[in-house]
Amino acid sequence: MPGMDQRFEASPRRRALRGLAAALAAIWLSAAPAAARTLVFCSEGNPESLNPQLVTTTTGMDAAWPVFDTLVAFEPGTTTIRPSLAEAWTISPDGRDYTFTLRQGVAFHRNARFRPTRPLTAEDVVFSIGRQWRADHPFHGVSGGQYAYFRDLGLPALIEAVEAVDARTVRIRLREADATFLPNIAMALGAIQSAEYAAALAAAGEAERLDREPIGTGPFSFVAFQPDVALRYRAFPDHWGGQPPIDSLVFSITPNAAVRLAKVRAGECHLMPFPNPGDLDGIRADPGLTLMREEELNIGYLALNVTKPPFDDLRVRRAVAMAIDKAAIVTGVYGPGGTAARSPLPPNLWGHDPTLADPPLDRAGAQRLLAEAGYPSGFEAELWYPPVSRAYNPNGRRVADMIQADLARIGVRLRLVTDEWSAYRSKMLAGVPKMALFGWTADNGDPDNFLGVLLGCVPARTGGSNIARWCDPTFDALVTKARRVTDQGTRAELYRQAQAIFRRELPWVPIAHSAVFVAARREVTGYRMDPLGRHIFRGVGLREAPGSRAGTQGGAGRVP
Amino acid sequence: MRVGHKIILVGGLPITIAALIALAGWLLLAQADRARGGAVLAGAIYRTLTLSTTVRDEFLAARPIERTDHAERFARLTAESAGSLDDLRRFARTPDQASRIEAARAALKDSIDQMQALVRITRENDGLIAEMASRADALVRLADQARDRQRAANTDLVVSLTDKASTLRQVRDVVGAVNELRALVAQAEIEALRDGGRAPSGMVQVRNAARDLAAALKGDRREAEAEELLILTAAYEAWRGGEEPGLVTADGGHARIVDSSLPSPVNVLDEWCDRVLKIDGSAQRALHDEVTQLLSYAVQANETEQATQNIALETLKLGQRTAEALRRRDVPAAAAMLEDGRRLSETAAALPISPLIQGEMIEAIDGWRERLGTTVEGLRRQNEGIAAMDGLAAVIGETARSLNEIFIDDADRFGTFLLRLLLVGAGAGLVLGSAAALAVARSITGPLRQLQRSMLALAADPGRREMGAGDVGAEVGRRRDELGDMARATAMFVEEIGRRERALRRAKEEADRTLAELRQTQSDLIQAEKLASLGQLVAGVAHEINTPLGIALTTATLVRDEARDFREVAAAGQLSRSRLTHFVDRMQEGSHLLTANLARAADLVHSFKQVAVDRVSDEHRRFPLREWLGELLRSLGPLLRRGGHRLELEAAEEFEVDTHPGALAQVITNLVKNAVVHAFADGTPGTITVAVSREGSWVRLEVRDDGRGIAAADRERIFDPFFTTARHRGSSGLGMHIVYNLVSGQLQGRIAVESREGRGTVVRVEFPACLAPAATARAAMAAQ
Repeated sequence: MPGMDQRFEASPRRRALRGLAAALAAIWLSAAPAAARTLVFCSEGNPESLNPQLVTTTTGMDAAWPVFDTLVAFEPGTTTIRPSLAEAWTISPDGRDYTFTLRQGVAFHRNARFRPTRPLTAEDVVFSIGRQWRADHPFHGVSGGQYAYFRDLGLPALIEAVEAVDARTVRIRLREADATFLPNIAMALGAIQSAEYAAALAAAGEAERLDREPIGTGPFSFVAFQPDVALRYRAFPDHWGGQPPIDSLVFSITPNAAVRLAKVRAGECHLMPFPNPGDLDGIRADPGLTLMREEELNIGYLALNVTKPPFDDLRVRRAVAMAIDKAAIVTGVYGPGGTAARSPLPPNLWGHDPTLADPPLDRAGAQRLLAEAGYPSGFEAELWYPPVSRAYNPNGRRVADMIQADLARIGVRLRLVTDEWSAYRSKMLAGVPKMALFGWTADNGDPDNFLGVLLGCVPARTGGSNIARWCDPTFDALVTKARRVTDQGTRAELYRQAQAIFRRELPWVPIAHSAVFVAARREVTGYRMDPLGRHIFRGVGLREAPGSRAGTQGGAGRVP
Repeated sequence: MRVGHKIILVGGLPITIAALIALAGWLLLAQADRARGGAVLAGAIYRTLTLSTTVRDEFLAARPIERTDHAERFARLTAESAGSLDDLRRFARTPDQASRIEAARAALKDSIDQMQALVRITRENDGLIAEMASRADALVRLADQARDRQRAANTDLVVSLTDKASTLRQVRDVVGAVNELRALVAQAEIEALRDGGRAPSGMVQVRNAARDLAAALKGDRREAEAEELLILTAAYEAWRGGEEPGLVTADGGHARIVDSSLPSPVNVLDEWCDRVLKIDGSAQRALHDEVTQLLSYAVQANETEQATQNIALETLKLGQRTAEALRRRDVPAAAAMLEDGRRLSETAAALPISPLIQGEMIEAIDGWRERLGTTVEGLRRQNEGIAAMDGLAAVIGETARSLNEIFIDDADRFGTFLLRLLLVGAGAGLVLGSAAALAVARSITGPLRQLQRSMLALAADPGRREMGAGDVGAEVGRRRDELGDMARATAMFVEEIGRRERALRRAKEEADRTLAELRQTQSDLIQAEKLASLGQLVAGVAHEINTPLGIALTTATLVRDEARDFREVAAAGQLSRSRLTHFVDRMQEGSHLLTANLARAADLVHSFKQVAVDRVSDEHRRFPLREWLGELLRSLGPLLRRGGHRLELEAAEEFEVDTHPGALAQVITNLVKNAVVHAFADGTPGTITVAVSREGSWVRLEVRDDGRGIAAADRERIFDPFFTTARHRGSSGLGMHIVYNLVSGQLQGRIAVESREGRGTVVRVEFPACLAPAATARAAMAAQ
């Protein structure tokens, strides 16, 4: 948004009130230590890392959101940018200089190893960005050094300089104007970490702890992570936004949607994402539960690795696309929330081309194409499917099953393969699979977040999120061009052209877009579905649970 | 020096010494007392402190809610000790003592501070322990919640599983029915091929299978698909039933004939079946998977619940062990519990406990651990405090004890010193006092002795009084002290005595003479009295004798006359017989009268003689009293005759007495005479009764009259000599006096007068019937 010169400031009085409220809450809490209020979120999988800079999945980002704040944030429930750690910022007329004024007195968490001696300063911002941006940064290589998302967004090339003007002022200079910069740093990768903590860990020779035992400024401090079991957070009473209404937050890791629902019904969890489409009616009927729906910006797709045979042959890719009965999948697996996908862009996002048509379901034609490509009797291949429910794919296994059945009809014999979620994701980014079911949920409300991040040439490199490894220069040029342009109409046109190229080259078989659902217990207050698919627990509280001991035994025991 | 001064000196010296000793003793005693008081106080402090240590131990051992009492008691005791120490400062005599007391005070103050710190720490610890307990309780509560939730979850799980299982069954039914239908269609097609396009016989089965499948689909609430299937099946039947080979698609359920190159109805049906199989097959797999997951979740949830219970149980156990260690004040053991708590926390963190409470549980355990850490630290400080207090208590105790000893030693030393002082002082006082007393005594006794000698000499020879007056104190008298005074006073005294003695002697001689004259007079008077009474007697006797003698004289005269007549007659010879006889008779009668009256006179003389003898004789003799009285009273007859009074004798029996009849007679005579003279008014005859009776060895004799009695005033004086109410009638006033003397003297008896005015008088005389020999002798002597 070049030329934009805005200031956002939080009123000091409101801050004071918040502080008072926090203090009162702290007193109340210390007076009643036993009455801890714990919100349990039955999350669908393990985060691939506790450092949001290292993750690309919503699961990983969800794990980071309680702990970290970003300079700017999306207004809850929208994709509008608002101040966060930066209480104000200015953008130079040429759109290249971003000057952020940091909020005063923002406290970092503390843990057994670290006690912050100072509030947030510009140094922390420089550290957080610098670690991802500069390959020569001391922390760049820590924990594998793969900042896939940062790189996929083209940020390393975009950023020219990051500097601390003074303790509360940070200036970021871009090589060129970029409309997506603010939404990009509003994403989890823009999380601000503590340079002081990093320095302390580095001095102790335990730099990797930075990513295992994160310290942030968020409303919850990290407590513990037990893979496959739980992620635990504790409310951070000194959070600049005020004391959270709950005392602790737990992500109970439960990959199976039926089990998640069982837990929610039992009161073991308060919230669950991705219920089975088949269970939606049951959830609606349960008086103890609320079903929330959001038309999310997402895409579930079957990626065909264009760098690996036989999918380097467009005919094979077309054959596969023609053999898959997408409607059956959407009906059987996605249920009423699903829409068959024809483009990488969801239909509710601007830039989506509604005229795009799918290749017809034509098994004979598919077989012919395979024969043309030299596979008259088909071939064998591995199909990777996600082990966990995703918004874009409620049941990877069923989708895989059905694709397996469809492709079997044209002689393509698939072996279904999966892995634990974070490992699965790593394999995806590493470009291992030839065929993989994957998907994407927008992290900002920009079409670039789909086309640029998932199909551009930059993310097509190893570790990038273009798992089809498809790099079409024309396509890439169009997307890159669209990024530089501010006019949405122009950008939409560019994206329309890009989608046509995608439709022709078929690096993916787009499967479906899906509305996402969250089932929550009635006592949960203040939860808002996020159009970006995040699960955010800021400001979420718990009403005095009327049936906390036996909350699931139907409505009979519940006070209206 | 005057004797007074000497005496003051002699008396004063020991008194002064004694006073000095007493003063010194008093001072020493005061010191000793003070020291003893100090010792007692120190002892009391020692005991109080020992008690306060016990109280502190009780404080530590007490239950938290009861600690306050002990703490207050400790405060009271220590305040008491502090007060006692303050008091003890007054007893301190030496700087050493003072410094010790100061040290003890400082230590006590420290001790009090320590106790306050201890109380504070203990309170904190109690609070922490209580908090730990509440955290452990919270854990158990959480575990209970988890169990309750688990029960509810189990119920839900059963419902979920039942739902899933029924869905699974429906899907399986659909899949089974689809497979059945496909098999039958395939068989029909094979038959048709073999039979060359004729309608196969199995069409009915195909229709039935399609109906079954439709029912299964409807059971799965897929009515649209069931409709579709029935249409497809009907199209297939129609097509196979010999009609023109037409094509049917499943598009929207509307069959329409399309190009012959398009799939035949059998293909469409087969395709449809494939699709259903694909979807439902995957659904079946997914359902299987879900059921498996749910089952494993159920198992896992129950395991989790068990694990939660175990953790709670472990925590409880640990809590109990810790509480025990804390109660024993065992710091290492409690610290070891910290490690156990850490392990427990890790276990709780590692176990798949319900996330809803896992955080709380871990927090509860961690909070518990943290509190335990603080508590252990508090306990350590508490133990240090106790050790410090014990040290201080030992210091104070030792100080108090040593002070006690010092004070006792002091007291003992003062005691010993006092004893010595007393001995030495007493000895010195004795010696000094003795010496002074000796000297003073000598200076006093010398002149005194001289004086004594002079006095003795004077006593032995009052004649020396001329010389004595000058001599007594001649030497001493020159002295200016009390002895000189005394000597001079003695000289004057001696002189005075001499003068008085001479005067006395003269007076005595005078008195003696007068007395002799008086005695003479008295005896003369008594003699006169006696003689007077004798005279009266004689007069009385003469009177008595006069009668017979007169008769005898007359008779004799008559006889003489008769005889002369007779002699004349005889001489005259005129004597006749009758005359003779008459003469004889007259003679006889005359002689008889003479005899009788002379005899009577003789008797009277005889009795008078006896009375008279008695009167003048003081001999005592034995005589019959009644008879004697009769004679006596007879002799008194004349006395009474004048007034016409009667005299009666009352004597019931005759008995003999041995006494002085003279005295007795005198007594009775006087009493009777007294009665006659005084008892009756002139012209009023009365009766005087003499009553005698014997009372054992005593004789009671009463002289009673019925006269006018004696005035009370006179009664007392009745025996006084010369007392009389009738001096004008010649009474001497000696009668009753003589009576009194005779009764109490010779008769050895007693006399009493009873009289009431107007009612007569009784004079009662009691005397022994037989005189005592000695008394007799004395009486005899007295009579002389």
